Amino acid sequence: MALQNTPVVPSGEPGALAEIANSRVQRINRPEITDQSQIDPVVLLFCPEGAISRSESGFIISYKLCKGCGICAKESRGITMVPEYTGPAGIF
Amino acid sequence: MSKVLITGNEAAALGAKLARIEVLAYYPITPAFPAMERLSKYIEDGELNCRFIRVESDHSALAAVLGGTLAGARCYTLTNSQGLLLMTEVVYHVAGLRQPIVMGVVNRALSAPHSRFPEHGDVVSQAGSGWIQLFCENNQDILDNTIQAFRIAEQLRTPVMVNYEGYLQSHTLEEVSVPEQEKVDAFLPLKRQPALDLTNPKGVNTVTGPEFYPTYKYKQNEAMLEALKLVPEVAEAYNKQFGANSCGLLEAYKMEDAEHALVAMGSIVGTARRYVDEFRKQGKKIGLLKLKVWRPFPVEALRKHLQNVRFITVLDKNIVYGVGGALAADLKAAFYGTNDMVINGVILGLGGGKCGLEQLDQAVKLTESDETEKNRSAWIAL
Repeated sequence: MALQNTPVVPSGEPGALAEIANSRVQRINRPEITDQSQIDPVVLLFCPEGAISRSESGFIISYKLCKGCGICAKESRGITMVPEYTGPAGIF
Repeated sequence: MSKVLITGNEAAALGAKLARIEVLAYYPITPAFPAMERLSKYIEDGELNCRFIRVESDHSALAAVLGGTLAGARCYTLTNSQGLLLMTEVVYHVAGLRQPIVMGVVNRALSAPHSRFPEHGDVVSQAGSGWIQLFCENNQDILDNTIQAFRIAEQLRTPVMVNYEGYLQSHTLEEVSVPEQEKVDAFLPLKRQPALDLTNPKGVNTVTGPEFYPTYKYKQNEAMLEALKLVPEVAEAYNKQFGANSCGLLEAYKMEDAEHALVAMGSIVGTARRYVDEFRKQGKKIGLLKLKVWRPFPVEALRKHLQNVRFITVLDKNIVYGVGGALAADLKAAFYGTNDMVINGVILGLGGGKCGLEQLDQAVKLTESDETEKNRSAWIAL
């Protein structure tokens, strides 16, 4: 069994539900916008964390809110899930 | 060491006072309340420098001391029976957050039907909560175990329940040797391990995905298993410091040549000790194993002491419905496939029911008869 590099007390930065110590986000993958013009606006509704918003310059993803579920990338073109470095020692 | 005549509740309060607890929260409940009252009096009289937080329930009591311990304070609370059930959600939080809270649990039967009498039903409901569970035979144990509990909890970052039974122990006067404050201070140096820091705000109990949750649980379990080594070490250090006679994981009483062993925890150990003495006089090769630690379950220590006996009678003051006594079930699992001894669990003393010498005699005779049902606990004194 591979043990992860976790703190003794499960804790993280304030304001984000899914973080652990040292600002590392507890996500395996994060969504990245590859083509603004391809994005289907349904992602605004489908994102369960409300992490995607729209501004004059286009769609914006808040990584403070995103838990990395991948629904946006599944529902729309123009968004791709990419592996994310997680944990103080670097797990991935 | 000075000697005083005090109740079990007073011994618990005195232990917490000697440990110089800094935050206390409780919600009044019988039979733990006199211990709470005594602690409040210590604070009121200026004998204990401790912040007392008034709360509206047992759930809030444990939540309040959880806040205190996250900030790095040494914290203590007490409860029993329905109160323990009400605080169960926070009991698991405390263990998962690895906070070294010590809690006195004054064991009392659970409702329904409503009862205020002693048994271990309340603490058995917390078997898998991740708290180290210590049990006390007498008032001296209550004081000794409470002081030791802080050292164990803070070293392992794992909370500890110190269990003693309502009325039989909580309200009964016994002579207790009290260690000097300076020596307790040396035994329990306060090493703060705050999870919260005003200059670096954090959130605790974060949402944790499947990538990390098993790791947290594995490490929690490792800390529990570490207690099997640490508890005897702490008891030895305590005995050395105070000239006390506190046992490690368990105490073997007249077990050297025993063919029949009684296994018990809590107040019934005192009765079993007397039973063993009486029947030893008649030449019966009987002994007693007193369990001080129930969680983690000391499998190796039990196997070592019980490997040569023919009969084991497990005395359970609790019932896990559809299974039998909790201790008997644990013991049978510990000996699975290792021996062909008879392990007989008996359930007695539920809700303050009789559990004297006569009932122990019935239990012992049942174990040695052919009527023992292998996979069930027998009920005594219904």
